[in-house]
Amino acid sequence: MTKRTFILALIIIPILVISGFYLRALYRRTFFENRQRPEDEIRTQLTQEALQSEAGSQVAVSLYFPNYDTGELIQEAREMSLAPNAEDQIRQIVLALIQGSLQGHARSLPSSAALRAVFLASDGTAYLDFSSDVKRNFPVGIESETLAIYSVVDSLAANIPGVKRVKFLIQGQEVDTLDGHADLTSFYTPNLVANSPG
Amino acid sequence: MSLFKPSLRWAYIAAAGFTIILIFWPARRVESQNFVFYLPSQRKLVPVETIGNAAYLPLLPVLNLMGQVSALQEKRGSLRLWFGAYQLRFRLGQRKVELNKETVMLPAPALHVHGQWMVPAAFLSIILPRLTGQAIIYKAGTGRAFIGNVRPISYTVALEKEPSGTRIEVNFTGKVAIQTASTNGKWVIFMGSASVEPLEPQISFQDPYVKSLDFDDQDGQPKLILSPAEPGMNFYPHLTNGGQTLIVDLVKPLLATGQPPALHAPAKPPVTVLPVVPPSARPVAAAPQAPRLPAIVLDAGHGGSDSGARSRDGILEKNLVAQIVGRVQSALEATKKYRVILTRPGDSDPTFEQRTLTANTSLPLVFLTFHAGELGDRSPVITVYTYQAGAAPAIATGAPLELFTRWDEAQQPEIGKSRQLALDVQQQLTRIQGAIVPQPQQAPVRDLRSIAAPAIAIEVGTLSPEEDAGSIASAPFQQQLAAAVAAAVEQFSPGGAPK
Repeated sequence: MTKRTFILALIIIPILVISGFYLRALYRRTFFENRQRPEDEIRTQLTQEALQSEAGSQVAVSLYFPNYDTGELIQEAREMSLAPNAEDQIRQIVLALIQGSLQGHARSLPSSAALRAVFLASDGTAYLDFSSDVKRNFPVGIESETLAIYSVVDSLAANIPGVKRVKFLIQGQEVDTLDGHADLTSFYTPNLVANSPG
Repeated sequence: MSLFKPSLRWAYIAAAGFTIILIFWPARRVESQNFVFYLPSQRKLVPVETIGNAAYLPLLPVLNLMGQVSALQEKRGSLRLWFGAYQLRFRLGQRKVELNKETVMLPAPALHVHGQWMVPAAFLSIILPRLTGQAIIYKAGTGRAFIGNVRPISYTVALEKEPSGTRIEVNFTGKVAIQTASTNGKWVIFMGSASVEPLEPQISFQDPYVKSLDFDDQDGQPKLILSPAEPGMNFYPHLTNGGQTLIVDLVKPLLATGQPPALHAPAKPPVTVLPVVPPSARPVAAAPQAPRLPAIVLDAGHGGSDSGARSRDGILEKNLVAQIVGRVQSALEATKKYRVILTRPGDSDPTFEQRTLTANTSLPLVFLTFHAGELGDRSPVITVYTYQAGAAPAIATGAPLELFTRWDEAQQPEIGKSRQLALDVQQQLTRIQGAIVPQPQQAPVRDLRSIAAPAIAIEVGTLSPEEDAGSIASAPFQQQLAAAVAAAVEQFSPGGAPK
């Protein structure tokens, strides 16, 4: 073996070994690990940036937040610049709910929740695809999950006339429940009767 | 090029082979279950993880079960701790453990997983007895250890053919007391305070009547789970030989000529649960002479890996509601008017459809599901729910559909009765001292959606990470709750049928 060959071998063999480690890590990341989180973060960031850039004139919107002591939703009026597109408006309303009440009401959705995608069908069904983070730091229970669902449904129906009913998805899939209690296999129509003004 | 000279071929082959092995080396397998510590006066559960091929236990919870860690010092890659008169030092990824001045070898290295130091389960037999001065019986590969003077009992099983069934004889090496329950088409034989180490945790049979007899203590309650080979069998367990022999007769029911089918007879799984006493004269034809008691289905929410809500003091919803269901079961069975069907055995987690199937095939008088959750700051609050569909049910279009009820709308025709039941339960619950019980509510409770019977959900109070569980975890409160629910069921169906 010449000196030149030896040096080349010294360089190439470690490169091959390092490549092996890298490919192994890549393979595992691809097939074993959940790679949704970075994607979700990017989606959320892009959504927020897009909404800010399309903001129009200020309008009064009604948001509904839960009151666990009475089991009702409380209306909170807020001035918002709604985007012209209905799907973007849905994003804005849901993001406002994720942001939380400005009047100190309880949260309906955790701050870690991210809305991955929105689709408004021609029959007025809004499909909301949440990330699985919607289940983190969430007050579990029949009442809290029911209030969370209707907080979203009623807030959308009250502000966006095109939304007739809502279907919830998590990570792009239909799931049985939000977190073990409230049925997410159904479509939801608004239930504004049970709410109280704030 | 000289680089590809034959003399270097081995190096390329080795590097390529190494690369391929690295890529396809199986990812580290991680499984999680419970490890049961049978202590002299109680049982404790610690999560055990299978990492690679070795069972690992979290070090600090194990030590805290046995005594107190007086000090601990964690540096990058090493952990030093003081336990009684001993000083231990673990190093990440190393099998060596320093025990005072001595070095002890574990069969697998100490690891740091999910923020916890983990040690192989063999730590229990190699190091822990020296630390605690207590005898510890741990058989490698099992999920339980017996501490101090706790001596495990074991059992052997024999099968005997009967004219219309099978007799199973379980001989224990010590005395046991049993309680039975029927759930998901299986019979569960709880062994109370006995400390049991099965020789064979799963026994399968080649028998026309019985499929298997499995041991389970994942929730800290040792029990045998008997799976019949076919539905509709009757089950007669009794203890003999001073509590050391359990005899279970599985008998195929034979209907007497001309006798009408029993009321509320289930179409599918077996649901006959008799008290733990032998039939007065063991029948060859064990046909029930009287109509079977109407069924009440009790559903404890969550289970298994789904713990549900959790309080600040560590009460899990799955355990809390299982306790309450047990008390409601006892209260209902004490009336001798109902038989009780449970939808989940022990700490399992049946799907919603499995729970619904268990309920609907039992043709129950009522279905009650128990949950806990966020109900605000007032406590204890008990809320009763009936089902509310998210949207109007699908409109039937055409005659054929009228013949059937859609599975996902099976609760709709029962809503009226469910609301009456909810009112009866709410009325009885208001008698619990100190409890706040609002009017029944409607909610899209998934457990209720497909139940073809009067069905309600009872949310028994607040379990929130910001608060302790408080009175809802106390026995007196749960007893009152169980008595109120049983009274409400009687009020709803005084003669065994809905009013």
